[in-house]
Parts: sequence; C-alpha cells; structure tokens
Amino acid sequence: MGPLVPLQNISNELNLLIAFVIGLGFGIALEQAGFSSSRKLAGMFYGYDTTVLKVFFTAAITAMLGLIFLNFVGLIDLDIVYVNEYYVYSAIIGGIIMGAGFIIGGFCPGTSFTAAAIGKIDAMWFILGSMIGIFIFGETFVFWKDLYMSGYKGAIKISDVLGIRDGYFALLLILVATLMFWVAEMAEKKFKREDITKEI
Amino acid sequence: MPDRQADIYINMKENLKQPKPYMNPYLAGIVLGFVLLASFYLTGRGLGASGATRSVVIGAVTSVTPEHAENSGYFSKYLGDNQMKTWLVLEIAGVIIGGFLSGAWAGRLKIRVEHSPGISKRKRIYMATLGGLLFGFGSQLGRGCTSGAALTGMSVMSLAGFVTMMAIFGTAFALAYFFRKNWI
Amino acid sequence: MNTRVILSIILISFGSIAAILPKQKTSSVQLNADELLREIRLETNLVSTDELADLLINLDPGIMLIDVRDSIEYSKYHLPGAINIPLKQLLDEKWMPYIDQISKKNIFYSNGTTLSSEAWILTRQLGYQNNYVLYGGLNRWFETIIKPSHPGSMATSVEIEWFNKRKAASMYFTGSSNATDLSSAPALPPVPRKKKKRVAGGCS
Repeated sequence: MGPLVPLQNISNELNLLIAFVIGLGFGIALEQAGFSSSRKLAGMFYGYDTTVLKVFFTAAITAMLGLIFLNFVGLIDLDIVYVNEYYVYSAIIGGIIMGAGFIIGGFCPGTSFTAAAIGKIDAMWFILGSMIGIFIFGETFVFWKDLYMSGYKGAIKISDVLGIRDGYFALLLILVATLMFWVAEMAEKKFKREDITKEI
Repeated sequence: MPDRQADIYINMKENLKQPKPYMNPYLAGIVLGFVLLASFYLTGRGLGASGATRSVVIGAVTSVTPEHAENSGYFSKYLGDNQMKTWLVLEIAGVIIGGFLSGAWAGRLKIRVEHSPGISKRKRIYMATLGGLLFGFGSQLGRGCTSGAALTGMSVMSLAGFVTMMAIFGTAFALAYFFRKNWI
Repeated sequence: MNTRVILSIILISFGSIAAILPKQKTSSVQLNADELLREIRLETNLVSTDELADLLINLDPGIMLIDVRDSIEYSKYHLPGAINIPLKQLLDEKWMPYIDQISKKNIFYSNGTTLSSEAWILTRQLGYQNNYVLYGGLNRWFETIIKPSHPGSMATSVEIEWFNKRKAASMYFTGSSNATDLSSAPALPPVPRKKKKRVAGGCS
C-alpha cells in the first residue's frame, strides 16, 4: 500500500533518487507543454494561447482521478497523502501577490526552472528575483507573522466543505473543466495572434 | 532532377532548424498528471518548486551568517528538516535536467531573452526580476506556489489549493490589461 | 473529432465512474474490532512527548490538547493550552464540536495512558477522526521533557543530541532560564518510530 516512502522502509538514497526522477518527469512535461516560454504562458491572460488552463486542469484532474481509483483498489492510503493546510488570509493574499508576479514576470517558479534550462535569460532573472523575494519575506517575517498564521482552518478538503463525496466533486470539476476548455478554444480563435504563436 | 533534390535538401535543412512543435496541451496535462500521481503514490506529497528556491536562499543565508539564519523567525523553522530540503532541491535538479533534455530533443536550446517587440530586452529583464520577487514573496506567504499549492492542492481537493489557484489566476487576469505591452 | 472532444468524453466517463464508486475505505465511519486493533498495534494513534514539545514550541495552530482527567487534577497542573474534558463527560453534546471535527489534531492525555486510550477508543469507534493519544501521558512528559535524565557517559552522540534538545524544551516549558532562545532552536526531529502521519507538504 502506498504512499511507499512513508509506509514502507525506503532508504534515504532511494527516496532522493525518486525525487530526481519525479523532477525529470516534471521538467519534461512542463517543457513539452511549452511552459518554458513566458509569452506562451502569458497568452492565457490575453486569450491567444490557453495552454496553461488546459495543461493545469487536465493534470489536476488526472491526478485527482488517479488518487480516487488507487484508493478504491487499496493501493494508496489517502489519510497519509498531504492535504494543504488552509490559512484563509495568507492563502488569498499570497495568491494575489503571486498573480501579480505571474503577469509581470511571466513565469511561476516551476516553469522558470525549465525556461532557464533551455537558455531563457529572463527566466534566470526571474529565479534571482524569486530568491530575493523569499529573502525579503524571511527578513521581514515579524511583520507578516500574524497574517501568516491567522484564519487557520486545518487541512480541509473542498468536498468536505460542500458536503459531497470526493467522486461527485471530481465529476463536477471535470464538467466545469470541459466547459472551460471549450470556451478557451473559442477564445483562441477570437484572440488569434499568429505573429506571437508562430514565434513561440 | 538535381534541382529537385537540392530543393528537398534545403527543405530538410530548414526542417532541422525549425524546433519541433509543442506537445498537445491535453496530452501534456495527462503526462503531468501522471507524474504528479506518481509523486503522490511514491512519497505521499505532490510537486513543489518554490520550496527548493527557499532551501537555496536559506543555504546562502546560513553560509554567510549562521547566527542570523538561526535567529530569523522564519528561516529557522526550516533549518532542521534536512531531508525535505534535499528532496525538493533534487526534484528541482531533475526539473532543470528534464527541461534541458526535452528542449535539446525538440531543438529549442537557445540563449536569449524572450520579449515582446513592444518592450526592450532590458525592460523584460527588469519585469522578470520584479515578477520573480513578487512570486517569491507571495509563495512564502501563501505556503507554496503554482505547483505546490495550486496544482498539488487541487488534485488532493484541498480548499487551500482552490483558493490559491483562484487568487493567482484571478489577479493575473485582472491586471492583464495594464501589462499588455509586455506580452502582445 | 478534435482532441478536446475526445478528452472531454474520456474525462467525463472516468469522472462518472469515480462518482458512483462507493465511498473510499479510509474515510469509513465505523471501524470494526480488527481495524481498531490494527491501528492500536501500528501505534498510529500515538503522539510522542518529543513531538508534542515540538508542536507546542512552534505554536502549531493545528493541535488541540484535551486533558481527560477530572477537573481537580486539571486545575493542579495541565499542559499549556489544554482544555479539560473529563472522560465521563467526553460524549456530552457540548464537546462534540471539539472531538468530532476535521480541522484540528486532538491529543488526549491523562497521567498515564489508561484514561486517554479509553477516550481515543470511544471517539474512534464513533468514527471521529483526528484524535490521538499522548504516548506515556503526563508521567512520560515529566520524565522526558520537564526533567530529562542524562543518557550517561557511554551515550552515543545521537543520544546526547536528543538530551540537549529535551533540555532546551524543558527550559521552554518550565521557564527556568532563557526560554526565549528556544524559539530559534532547530526543530526536534520526528521520533524514529513508524507511525501513521501525514507527510510534510509540497512547497511549504
């Protein structure tokens, strides 16, 4: 029964090898999707390229369904899988700041690494910037500490909040996502920018 | 006949120069989803990126002034758990190498600054650094970035993941108009 | 048909299957005796004193300490931040929001582990989650955290390190000397006993 590392005796070396292999897959998937191009990523917000939405939701749904099925056949114990803890204010404000960073910088931390790997100089500066940002946060933590800790709601799941089964929620999300994919492809036709999409 | 052959030769050369097209986004999403699922199955947690950057920052701070890192209310929280730190750093090493291999295979390796014709290279670099700064800061406050909080959080149906995802994309959409010159 | 349509059909079919699957086992409401015994055997319901000290020092908002002894004992001494729910009143209506919830990790404790284990079995059988028992109870808390004994001159460096950490934790809880220093001490490593515990998360 999984997850393997916390439940079985997996040596530390093997665990780190797993980290590297998972990273390889992560990097290849991001690069192949085109996330190593900031103008492709930013296309999401102008409608000319909605790859971000498609990849993001397809990936989340695939993993979500995978977890449900693995759990059903008894291969994974969902009680052990990490569920992000919800701190209301820091999640929202942190998200807003990240959103601003996204539209200004054109990357997020994961994609900036793949972009830097294929030689994008702007991505390297983005990484440097994010280091500075983290450093500033750490140095000024006293000011944010209360905000950082406030509104703690625990590791709650959205299906519990809505009071529905995990499976129903997955189906609901899939229906919403397919609708969004449809809208996204219409938007791509409407806001077509051949000049940009050819370049990237 | 020789002319035609020469034409074909030139075409082939052009084709070699032209990078391979990107993967179909839905297919790429499924691949990414399986990588994420493998991570859950193997380690019980999803993917992360900003955590690795933080490890590097903490490593740098510690090597310059160890006392300062220990006394810092935030960094000191992460001084202890070495394994988690190494795990994320190795994962990101994988991301960089994976990205490089994929880029090399598709013929996309090229040192350059990607920017819209509307802005200069210099401005693009300023913006990228500023964006990175905000993203770095926000990822610490929001306990994870697009990978660790939004994508991973969504796939385990965590409310935090959905809230963070909506805050990130909502803000980016809301601000898109003001930064359109940077991209289109 | 384009890729989007194919994908949509596949996803909706799989989603429909997911929706009709019975509720997964790990969140089942009732446990049978075997499952209960298994959890006790695997010690998945235990929190060690070192872990607790670590959680308290870090002011972890995710835990709720519940003292299940009677109110007289509680008023004499109780762990910082603990609330008192005597075992007899555990299933009272007014305590339900505390013990039947999904957001916090409840840690029951008593002097030893008799009362707290009873509390745990009661709640677990009702299907409530997030309830744990402090391993060794207050007795062990005093032995290991408040008055840690030196492992002796033959101790390995690991044991010495443990002792030093416990000593530091002791200062924090008893306030006997520079307790403020402790907030910057490195976190205690998790106890190397295998137990069911959520893994630490992605970026945070």
